[in-house]
Amino acid sequence: MTLQSQTSELLPGFDHAAFDSNAVFRVLLDALSRPGRIYDVPVSVATPDGLNATTTATLLAMADMDTTIWLSPTCVTKAATDHLKFHCGCPISDDVAKADFAVARIDDDLSFITHLSVGNAEYPDQSATLILMVDEISNAPAMKLTGPGIKDSHDLDIKKLPASFHAWRAENHHMFPCGVDVIFASPTKIAALSRTTRIEVI
Amino acid sequence: MEQLANNPADGATAYNFAYLDEQTKRMIRRALLKAVAIPGYQVPFAGREMPMPYGWGTGGVQVTAAVIGPNDTLKVIDQGADDTTNAVSIRQFFAKTANVATTEKTAEASIIQTRHRIPEKELREDQVLVYQVPIPEPLRFLEPRETETRKMHALEEYGLMHVKLYEDIARHGHIATTYAYPVMVDDRYVMDPSPTPKFDNPKMNNMAALQLFGAGREKRIYALPPYTKVKSLDFEDHPFEVQTWKDECGMCGAHDSYLDEVILDDQGNRMFVCSDTDYCAERQEAGHRGPQHHDQPLGNASREKAAE
Repeated sequence: MTLQSQTSELLPGFDHAAFDSNAVFRVLLDALSRPGRIYDVPVSVATPDGLNATTTATLLAMADMDTTIWLSPTCVTKAATDHLKFHCGCPISDDVAKADFAVARIDDDLSFITHLSVGNAEYPDQSATLILMVDEISNAPAMKLTGPGIKDSHDLDIKKLPASFHAWRAENHHMFPCGVDVIFASPTKIAALSRTTRIEVI
Repeated sequence: MEQLANNPADGATAYNFAYLDEQTKRMIRRALLKAVAIPGYQVPFAGREMPMPYGWGTGGVQVTAAVIGPNDTLKVIDQGADDTTNAVSIRQFFAKTANVATTEKTAEASIIQTRHRIPEKELREDQVLVYQVPIPEPLRFLEPRETETRKMHALEEYGLMHVKLYEDIARHGHIATTYAYPVMVDDRYVMDPSPTPKFDNPKMNNMAALQLFGAGREKRIYALPPYTKVKSLDFEDHPFEVQTWKDECGMCGAHDSYLDEVILDDQGNRMFVCSDTDYCAERQEAGHRGPQHHDQPLGNASREKAAE
């Protein structure tokens, strides 16, 4: 196999690394500092099999050799791992406890989330971020969110979010300042839950 | 110079956009995301050497460089003023390395980098305030060991800080801390608001804009998401109070802004002016006049007196 045939299958990354990664980061910064608010991702990127467009854009903007990525069994395609290794140069681990960013689909078996790193009391920043690929994000009143970043309350609805997620999330919130932050990534939109966000399921 | 640098054709091409390389920006951006997720907690980051000495805002500059995009408009203030050395040089730095528009008007800016003031004008949701922080650890002067202060934050052990404020009361009859006044963020972390006057502390509480803090020498980043509870530490019988002045601004007559005292001569004459230059200029444009403004009879009189 020549180098030519290996690289010809690769998809392109950002058109302009500095501007596109900045635009994606600003959306993530806004989303995490205003939990539950829904943002369009302003950049279109080629999407490898196994990931969706906003997840790919998020990882291209945030991941590099210093961040370990864990992909759920349904996401860990050759196309996805090749794409991330080439463009981000990030290590991809099959040990979920080592992940800085963990990527899964909403209809995956989500039992892995209890193994994600939550940091420790002295370094709560050494925790994982969960990127959950979902079909649809809307502000229908399924969850009522309050906490830092939210003026009064935000409504958020994630299609097919299982009850087990809420049980885990309630526990996660009690561990503050430790805990996992969650980014919901639909094909075009992003919303986030900070570890500080209180959720009332309506 | 600044206008020239704002022309995209004249931008510096020898640097990456906004000076820092992409990997450094990613590292700072990851720290920023953790910082907003844990309000008030100081996230360690691999601070880089910047082309300016420590103490001149290297932390704030790195945060701004990681956040700023080509469509942003940058305002930089130093003690409230847009026209001092530190503010001018940082504004020119980003005009040159990022080709961004710059402004002196608070309302027009999307990112405001500040050294030790919060603008008087209320900030909006679409604005980001970046603070330059010299010493991010509020407990540092009480406990010099980083291992200990880290443990104190982990255990929420803030008794020492209250003892310090109590000793102020015991010695002076009131809390004598007037700047870098410690705050409690979202009922969890005690945070140093950077050496802003305590006059500005109430503005941090429930602010609509995102607040980011960068300490370059100490290599720490922390943040306050919008609408976060920020409470200045105090006691029930000695509640937190901000400074007030008997005088008004000599130029615009404002009673509600933070005033700087200016010594006029060696005869004991002095005047007070707004520390926030944009706020003062805007009020003067709107026709407000203070007693020492050159339009005013007294203002001319004092100028003539000075000329004698």
